[in-house]
Order: sequence, then C-alpha cells, then structure tokens
Amino acid sequence: MLPIEIQSLSRSYGRRAALIDLSLTVKSGEIVALVGPNGSGKTTLLKILAGLLRPGGGRVALFGLDPFRDRVRVMARARFAFAPPALFDNLTAREHLRYLIGFHGDHRVSPAEIDQALELVGLTERSRERVAVYSLGMRQRLALAQALLPLPDLLVLDEPTEGLDPLAVLELRAVVARLRREHGVAVLLSSHLMVEVEQLVDRLLVLSEGLCVYLGTPSGLTEGACGLRVVAGDPKRAAPLFRARGATVSELKDGALLVRGVDLDLKAALALLEPAGVELRSFSHYRPTLEQALLERLRAHTAAGRRDA
Amino acid sequence: MIGRLEIVRLWRSRRPLIAACSLLFFLVLMLVGFYTYARAETGGRAEFRYTYENRSYFNGLTFALYAFYFGFLLILPIFIATEGGAQIAGDTSRGTLLLSLTRPVSRTRLFFSKFLLSGAFSTLLAGGFLAVSLGVGLLAVGWGDLDLYPGVLQMTDRHQHLEQQQALARFLLAWPAASLALLAPLSLAYLFSSWVKNPVNAVGLAFSLYLILYVIAEIHFFKDLRPWLFTTYMPYWRELFQERPDWSQVSNQALRLSGFTLLFLALAFRRFRRREER
Repeated sequence: MLPIEIQSLSRSYGRRAALIDLSLTVKSGEIVALVGPNGSGKTTLLKILAGLLRPGGGRVALFGLDPFRDRVRVMARARFAFAPPALFDNLTAREHLRYLIGFHGDHRVSPAEIDQALELVGLTERSRERVAVYSLGMRQRLALAQALLPLPDLLVLDEPTEGLDPLAVLELRAVVARLRREHGVAVLLSSHLMVEVEQLVDRLLVLSEGLCVYLGTPSGLTEGACGLRVVAGDPKRAAPLFRARGATVSELKDGALLVRGVDLDLKAALALLEPAGVELRSFSHYRPTLEQALLERLRAHTAAGRRDA
Repeated sequence: MIGRLEIVRLWRSRRPLIAACSLLFFLVLMLVGFYTYARAETGGRAEFRYTYENRSYFNGLTFALYAFYFGFLLILPIFIATEGGAQIAGDTSRGTLLLSLTRPVSRTRLFFSKFLLSGAFSTLLAGGFLAVSLGVGLLAVGWGDLDLYPGVLQMTDRHQHLEQQQALARFLLAWPAASLALLAPLSLAYLFSSWVKNPVNAVGLAFSLYLILYVIAEIHFFKDLRPWLFTTYMPYWRELFQERPDWSQVSNQALRLSGFTLLFLALAFRRFRRREER
C-alpha cells in the first residue's frame, strides 16, 4: 500500500473551490514538496490527509485507508506537524514526548529514544522547561521531535523551517534525508523555501488556486522554463520576428527578451534579426533558478485564469 | 495516558487553584455577612457566635448549608462552565486538538476522557467546597443540630430539625447528589464547546443560558415551562435536608436531571465526532 494515494480530489468551502481535481501518489522513501502561494490549498490538502477534513470529491487513501474514517489506524503509521506548531504550553519538552508516545497504546519508546530525539533537534539542555517559554524556533524543533516518535512510515511537515535559524534548517534537512535513507520514510512537506526544496525533494507539487500547476522534479520545472536570453537593439521589432518562427517571447526584468519554444543558435539568430535591421547585442542560454521558474509558472497560471475569466 | 495527560494539564492550568481561591473568598464573605447580620439583628449586643451559643437556629451547619446552596447555584456553575469550555473549544483555539487528533486516539476516547476528568473535577470541587464550608462553620461558628425554618432557601414550609450526626450524614449524601446535578451544566458547556471554536464564547454561552434558565425556573410565572428546564431539578438535593426526605421525589428528579445530562452530552459528542477541523 502506498503511503499517499490521491485521485481527482476536490474540496470547496461554500462556493470557493479550495482544491480542484488533484491527483498525487507518494511512494515509500520519497520526499515530495508541496508549494504554492497563500490560499492555494496546501493546508486544506494536509488537513484532508490528516483526516481533519472530508474530501468534497475524489479519493484519498493513506496506506490504503480513508484518513477521515480510519484516522486512528492511519495515525499509527503517519505523523503530522502543522504550522504554527501547536503544543501543550504547560508541559515540558520531555513530558510532551512521553505523553504523546503514550497515545500509541502498547507502543513503547525508551527514555533513551526520547533523549535521542531531543538531542537530534537540539533541545536536550532545555528539555525540562515548560514549552510556554519556548521561542518559535524551539517550538518548531519540538514539533519535529514529536513527529519522529515513534518512527512513522509517513511524515507530513507543514512549513517545517518557519522560525528556524539557517543552521537548524541544515540540520532539519539532514534529519529528513536520513529518515528517507535509513528508514524509507515517505515525506510530504509544504514549504516556501525553494533552496530547501531543491536540495531535498524528489518531486514537487505546485498548487495555485486549488489547481495543480506542476507535478514533477524540481529540475523538470527549471528546464521547462529554460530558453534563450536575447538582448536586441530594438526589442519591440525583434519580438515579432521570433514569434513568426513559432517562439513564445516574454520580457525579462532587465529588458532582455526571453525566447522559448524554438531551437536557435547564434548564427540562426543573426540570420533572423540582421536582415530586418535589428542589432543583436547579446545571445545566451537562460536557466532560471527554481524560485524564478516557480514564479513564472504561477504568473502564467494566474494570467491564463484571467484570460479565461 | 490521555487521562494522565489531561490531569497534568488541568492541574498546571491553575483553574483548580483559581476555583478554590474564589470559593474560599466567597466563604469569607458569607461569614462576614453572617456576623454583621447577627450584630445588626441584636443591635450590637451579640455576635454571630453568641447567637448560636444562645441556641439560636443559626450555627455552623446552617452556615455550611447556606454557603453550599448559594455556591452551588451561582458560583460552582461558573467554574463548571469554564471547565467545559476550556476542554474542547480551548484545545481547538490553541490548535492542540490537532496535536491529539494526529495521534492514534479515537475521538470517542478523547471526548470521554476529557468529560470524565471534568466530571471528576466538578465532583471534587463540590466536595471540597462542602467540606471547607463545614470546616469554616465548625471553626468560626461551632456545630450543633440543624434547624431549618421556612425562609430564604425555600427548603421547607415547616420547621425541620436534624440532629448533628443526622445532619452530617445528609451533607455527605448531598455531595454526590449535588455533583450529579452539576453534570447537567457541565454537559451543556461541552455542547457549546463542541460547536464554537472560541472558549470564551463557549463559556459565555453555557453560563448565560444556565443563568437565564435558572431565573426562569425560579419564577412561578413560568410554571408551565419549568418541567422542561434542567435548572428546575438542579437543587433537588435540598430535599435531603428534610426530616423525612421524599426519596421517590429525589430519585425522580435525579433521573430527569440525568436525562438532560445525557441529552446534552449525546448532542455534544455527535457534533464532536462528525465535525471537521478547519
């Protein structure tokens, strides 16, 4: 049974659609990132997976079970950490872990494992202080520690790096990578940090207004956004010449043209522009960062939505 | 483990301490009231303590009964409603409900663990308040037999006399009886706590509805409505302080009250089990 299987999932709040026809599968040992702007449906998706919301349509299964109806059985294998981290403020970090593990009935976790989890997230020294005095970063670390005990088969992390310092982000990345490598844990994480996503995840699900606008590898997203960066003497005259060759042309922030969908080398570009009297000043390959590629994809989706409307 | 967690959380929330301090403050005010009343009635010639020693019907047992009666009707329900509101709505607003629900624990177990703890808390609070009232009555006033006359408490329409040991046994019986009665406002608080996300709203709704129904139950103008209100049956334990209690009336009213409790609780549970956590 796959850790996550979603088929044609939809969900609305009144008339507003929060998720539309979403499909996704996550295999054991796979790390998938969930990205998208605020209100894109990320939290709705995570809450449906946690059995806290019912799907409006479609099918959702975690380890082959319906998370709303079989929540108890699902939670025996899956662990969630929602943002902002909600914790019992009157308990210490150590008590937190002990009591939450106690929810697993006969599942025993030794004190040494609790110590190990606390050490892993750097809370050993302050583990006997009440959580009420913790900073956001410390709360985030404890939320991660509680999600690791007992070790789950599926880990779902909502904005796990929020409030963490750069060193802690690095440590978190190492922890997640180790969980996958050594224990085959499947991880679904929602994040705004593209650097973290690019270095950690196998696949990426981009949501915008409840729709999946991209599902694939991070490199697939950047490659799809690659093109030619052309600086022409007269960009307004150069753009139609490229379009006539079947290219899509857009303007970059520095005024250069981004030409996509056509295979041109320098010689062919010169042959296209020079007869029309347009000077070619610069010609190079354009490879955006993951963040740029994501923003372009989201902008394109928003623009398409406006056109449809 | 859920039970232990809830006990630790309740203890550290300081709600028990706040409730105990408030009830103690109320007892002190009652005591001052009794003393100043006795002084005013005797033109300053005697204090409350001496009125008892002069075999007046006011004594430590009367004091405890008065204090418990008013505390039961108006003070304890505040803490009961707060407890009910703090449990589900409090956990919802703090987000800690998600922490519990993302563990392998059923909503049924979670709900009833919380309710059992709240019920135990309200029972202990009522018992503690009754014990302290009797203790204060003994130390500050002194015990004797319990004499009740028709008057403020509407407990009797003729003079009732209970010997000290008999009266203490009735106080002991009044504790579980009153605790059972308090489960009705507690389950009402749970009902609102399952419906609204904000604990302040849950507590406010539960307590204001309790007060409204209590007032209506006390006004004879609404006598046709009274049988349908749980507040009508809440002071049923007063019957225990009759020389010869009408046990069938006591059990009948206790059953009706339990019916209301079960109804509120069933509605609260139904809502909690089916609701989505948006």
